Amino acid sequence: MADEPISISPTDDQAGLEEQLVAYLDGELDDDCARRVEALLAGHPKAREQLARLERTWSLLDGLDRPQVEETFTRTTIEMVALQEEAELSRRRAQAPRRRVRRWVIGGVGLLAAVLAGFLAVAGFWPEPDRQFLRDLPLLEDYDELNQIEDADFLQMLYDQGLFVKDAPDEG
Amino acid sequence: MPREVRGAPEVPFPVGIALVVSESSAQRQALRDPDVRLMLEVRGDSAEAFEELMLRYQGRLVSVLEHLVGDRDQAEDLAQDVFLRVYRARKSYVAGAKFSTWLFTIANNVASNALRSRSRRREVGLRTPEGSGVGSPWDRVIQASSGQMPVRRVDKAEMRDIVRLALEALNERQRMAVLLSKFEGMSYADIAEAMELSPQAVKSLLARARVNLREVLEPYLDHGSRPRSGNGPKSAGDEETGEGTGIRD
Repeated sequence: MADEPISISPTDDQAGLEEQLVAYLDGELDDDCARRVEALLAGHPKAREQLARLERTWSLLDGLDRPQVEETFTRTTIEMVALQEEAELSRRRAQAPRRRVRRWVIGGVGLLAAVLAGFLAVAGFWPEPDRQFLRDLPLLEDYDELNQIEDADFLQMLYDQGLFVKDAPDEG
Repeated sequence: MPREVRGAPEVPFPVGIALVVSESSAQRQALRDPDVRLMLEVRGDSAEAFEELMLRYQGRLVSVLEHLVGDRDQAEDLAQDVFLRVYRARKSYVAGAKFSTWLFTIANNVASNALRSRSRRREVGLRTPEGSGVGSPWDRVIQASSGQMPVRRVDKAEMRDIVRLALEALNERQRMAVLLSKFEGMSYADIAEAMELSPQAVKSLLARARVNLREVLEPYLDHGSRPRSGNGPKSAGDEETGEGTGIRD
């Protein structure tokens, strides 16, 4: 761990020195910082004394109880896990019908939308023979007369002059 | 003499964030940590692997929690809560950190919640256990050490009690850091990850905790007498605000 410079005098920045000493005891200083602490310790008896005191009280924690856990703990914990899983499974099962219905509804709506889109596409682009037939009906009604004229350009000229518009029935 | 300098700390892995860890990285981690391998089997719904992990960690977990909350029964309840959460979270487990670090991160959260609830209840109830005549753990340490004959040899059981009281006199964060360092041998980086602090904050926290322990225990060790009046260590600002009992935070 990279650290800030260590104060030379043990009396300055006591908290900073203590931090460095504790980190040194814990092996958390990088090589450079560790060397500087060691240099400080070599030159200052008070710092060495501080280090020894810190180490002494830290070692007292080794005397704390480390109690063993009984077998019943393992058994009851596993039972609790099993119960938890069972409860979770039941919850998911209870929600499953609602999810199924939701899926069907979404599927149905999607299908209808697809059918409608398809219908509109077909209606827009599919050629209708009847529509074509209606457009050509005037031509078909006078087909026999028109068939006499062999020149298409002449026919186009007559059409342009409005000669193919049917006269309104005479009144009176 | 100091211990061997540990290697550079790993970059902390935030728990709960979905990280993309390549299979090869996960495999490397699994090879280094057999508990990670077990947890990956638990992710695959292996009950045997879960039981094995429990057997490996239940004692350690209960020990840490007991010294943290000061009550054996509650420690076991909390430990069970931790294992339940581990199993519940198995599908989202990402093998990117040591398993123990991940486990103790959960333990730290569970313990913090429990202690917070307990302190809220205390604020409401304001009850002092009958016959104790003392309020804070600090007072109990003073009481325990006062009136003792100066002794050179200290009874082991008595010493254990004094050390336990000294530990209880620390605030929750200091206590957790001390327990993870002492009982679990975790590095500052791992403790930082478990407690969601920076490594520098952990360094400061542990230093203050150990100085506080020294200042509580030394008078008893040296003279069997109570700490000096003014109650020893003065309070100081803390870069990470913690609960205080009048000793240095």
